[in-house]
Amino acid sequence: MEEIVSGTEPLKPLKKRKKNKRWTWKNIVEQRQLIFMSVPLLAYIITFAYVPVWGWTMAFQDYKPARSFGEQKWVGFKHFEFLFKDDNFLRVLRNTLGMSLINLVLGFVTAITLALLLNEIRKVFWKRTVQTISYLPHFLSWIIVTGIAATSLASDGIINDILMRLNLIDAPILWLSEGKYFWGIVGGTTVWKEVGWNTIIYLAAMASIDPALYEAADIDGANRYQKMWNITLPSIKPTIVILLIMQVGHILEAGFELQYLLGNGLVVDWSETIDIFVLKYGIAMGNYSLATAGGIFKTVVSITMLLLANWTSKRLGEERLL
Amino acid sequence: MGDRKKLLRVGVTLLLTLSVVLAGCGGGNNKDASNGKTGSDSEVLDVSPQNPIEISVFLNEAGQQPTADNKIYKKIKEELGITFKFEFLAGDKDQKLGVMIAGSDYPDIMSADQKLTAAGAVIPLEDLIEKYGPNLKKHYAAYWNQMKDPNDGHIYYMPNYGAYNGESAGTYYNGPAFYLQKAVLKEFGHPTPKTLDEYFDLIKKYKEKYPTIDGKPTIGFEILNYDWKNWGLFNPPQHLIGHPNDGGVVVKDGVAEIFANKDYSKQYYQKLNEINEQGLLDRETFTQNFDQYLAKISNGNVLGMFDQRWNFQKAEDSLTTQKKIERTYVALPLVFDESTRDYYRDRTVLNLNNGFGITVNGKDKAARIIMALDKLLDEKWQKLLTWGVEDEDYYVNEEGRFMMTQEQRDHQTDEAWKLANKAAAFYGTAPKIEGYFSDGNAVSANDQPEEYQAGLKPYDKEMLDAYGFNSYVDFFSPPPPNAVTYPAWSVDLVDGSPAMLASKKLQDTQTKYLPKAILAPKAEFDKVWDEYVGAIDKIDIKAYEDRINEVLKWRIENWTTK
Repeated sequence: MEEIVSGTEPLKPLKKRKKNKRWTWKNIVEQRQLIFMSVPLLAYIITFAYVPVWGWTMAFQDYKPARSFGEQKWVGFKHFEFLFKDDNFLRVLRNTLGMSLINLVLGFVTAITLALLLNEIRKVFWKRTVQTISYLPHFLSWIIVTGIAATSLASDGIINDILMRLNLIDAPILWLSEGKYFWGIVGGTTVWKEVGWNTIIYLAAMASIDPALYEAADIDGANRYQKMWNITLPSIKPTIVILLIMQVGHILEAGFELQYLLGNGLVVDWSETIDIFVLKYGIAMGNYSLATAGGIFKTVVSITMLLLANWTSKRLGEERLL
Repeated sequence: MGDRKKLLRVGVTLLLTLSVVLAGCGGGNNKDASNGKTGSDSEVLDVSPQNPIEISVFLNEAGQQPTADNKIYKKIKEELGITFKFEFLAGDKDQKLGVMIAGSDYPDIMSADQKLTAAGAVIPLEDLIEKYGPNLKKHYAAYWNQMKDPNDGHIYYMPNYGAYNGESAGTYYNGPAFYLQKAVLKEFGHPTPKTLDEYFDLIKKYKEKYPTIDGKPTIGFEILNYDWKNWGLFNPPQHLIGHPNDGGVVVKDGVAEIFANKDYSKQYYQKLNEINEQGLLDRETFTQNFDQYLAKISNGNVLGMFDQRWNFQKAEDSLTTQKKIERTYVALPLVFDESTRDYYRDRTVLNLNNGFGITVNGKDKAARIIMALDKLLDEKWQKLLTWGVEDEDYYVNEEGRFMMTQEQRDHQTDEAWKLANKAAAFYGTAPKIEGYFSDGNAVSANDQPEEYQAGLKPYDKEMLDAYGFNSYVDFFSPPPPNAVTYPAWSVDLVDGSPAMLASKKLQDTQTKYLPKAILAPKAEFDKVWDEYVGAIDKIDIKAYEDRINEVLKWRIENWTTK
């Protein structure tokens, strides 16, 4: 197609359109189908992403439900003050960041490693089998995963059983009663649940690598590890960077169900995250304003981190999102 | 040109669709309200088969719809012209109520909740009951002042339990107590442990003698502290010094104070520290979830725990089904010191902040709703709601006593049968007669003494005979009359208030430090305890105590019968 087009006369209008960035009635008419197609999407985003931002006003009020806007009492930054001044806040922030970072690093490393390994399997049957088995846990609800984790970690659970049989420990370890194990348990469980699912996108990226590159490497006498390191990894780097930027935006989302359901009095110093804190002191006590303040804090951090990661990536000459 | 017209048309169509959708979102309430109005204005103020009424009901607990041809609801419809349309809670209660309040989208009547009162979703009932509910008025006469809301003096809800016209027979107790497996009592010749030390001695001796039960290691004692089910850890100290369940406080002479940091609490937790040292406490007790707790009890190898029976009822039912009657539990009212009179069992108190309220949406037919509920409070209907249909669900013997055959008895625990033959969904929250009917029969089959005896298992009969008891409740001292202020746990702390915040923080502190103290090596107990007391000192306990005392004072002024 391109050749035919460039070979004949109409090159001119193409160039012209590129220069002309102004919206004219003519190109609105020309692109009406596209514009119409975007209307529902725009309406959706406005309704569900922008209109609710109005609710942020709640954070600056002593909000009571079923009262009109005019009847609410304005209190300024009272709820933010409560949030930041509370003794526990630093602790829950530390826990959130800690578990989130563990999830981030572990998630990336394991998913990329597994994808690389899967990519090297030559027998399609085994590849498919391993892939299916590894991504199935993704479809389990967190409640069930928590149940499985709690049962496996119990004193007569499978983990203790194996360790005992291997003579690595003499008595069962109570995994869930020691704060020092908690982050690891969360990280491990999350990896178990998500690793297979996360590989899918990398495998897709690997599938689109030009085979000519591998052939060229073969001719140069590269072995498998060299091909992996010098071709596969660099080729999926843009995908990795984009996913990383997006994940950094979620740095305050360490998960909720796992910590909420596995946490107990003995490990509370390590298990409580911002979400749990906000649930306990905000929503559960009918203090919607505090819950909103917590939400605003998280959003602001998210956007800042996202922009920061994006900017860093740009400076380093890598892919970027915006 | 033609194109542009088409474009305009499509645009207009889209806009219209959008506006219809949006209007549909906002206009819900208006429609409902106007429907209610047309429904009642034209009709006479009466409820009968000729003037039927349909009442929509929201119940704030999960449940199952009764079958379409449920025999009790059918009778109520045919003879009284009353139909109920139930909606049960699915998911989280606070969330559901929040959505209802935000949209002002209520059924006619709803289970009580402080949130509804605060949002102005329910209407005052006192005038309506005076005018249209003679039975209701009589039923609640002795409790009238207690039912008033402390904030504005109106009655918003009709409590579902606790309005007695006589005393309850009380052959059944499912409240807080130290529970102990029946087998332990039998093993040592039916002793009656009164103190905490005696109780743990029995457990220790039994565990030494039987290190495993059915192949599983014997667990001496369980403490459940999971999510909101925290009384297993928090509540025992108040009972051990002879006080009834007031929640987080002990009330002395009408004044409430917290007990979490008092010396008698320390004494209890130190004892737990000691039994942990002896290996009697389940190592996993503080990390288990509720399901794991129930699973352990269902295995039959847990000797004892502090709990309320309704909480672990499912596990005990499972033991009964497995025919392990000796592994089911007896409730014991333990105290620190033998001279203390136990006060676990209380006289039933009015179940405030429970029962039905009429919402603003049911306002227009409120008078007729009251009439309907009033009719159902009649003894004839109450018998139908509790015992069922005569000669079908129960029989009357020569002395005029209500009895059941074994088959009829079995039906009472059969969930599927109940959906078709009992009006449990309505009855649970409705105003009801409790205690005895005017002919002397107990309202509930559980409380009919000869019916209770006839339903006993042989193992239980033998055990009760050994003690010379009529029922297991005889382990408890008869409850004294309730203090006017009792119970303090029903005080509304007010969502988001400093009192509520302090209460939450106190609970968090307990959840964090008490397990640590109990599991600590003996020598370190005092150190952890001091840390714990220090952490409590940092909380605004005064706000919490002040709020409770404010309401207790109000109760003394308004509830005291003059």
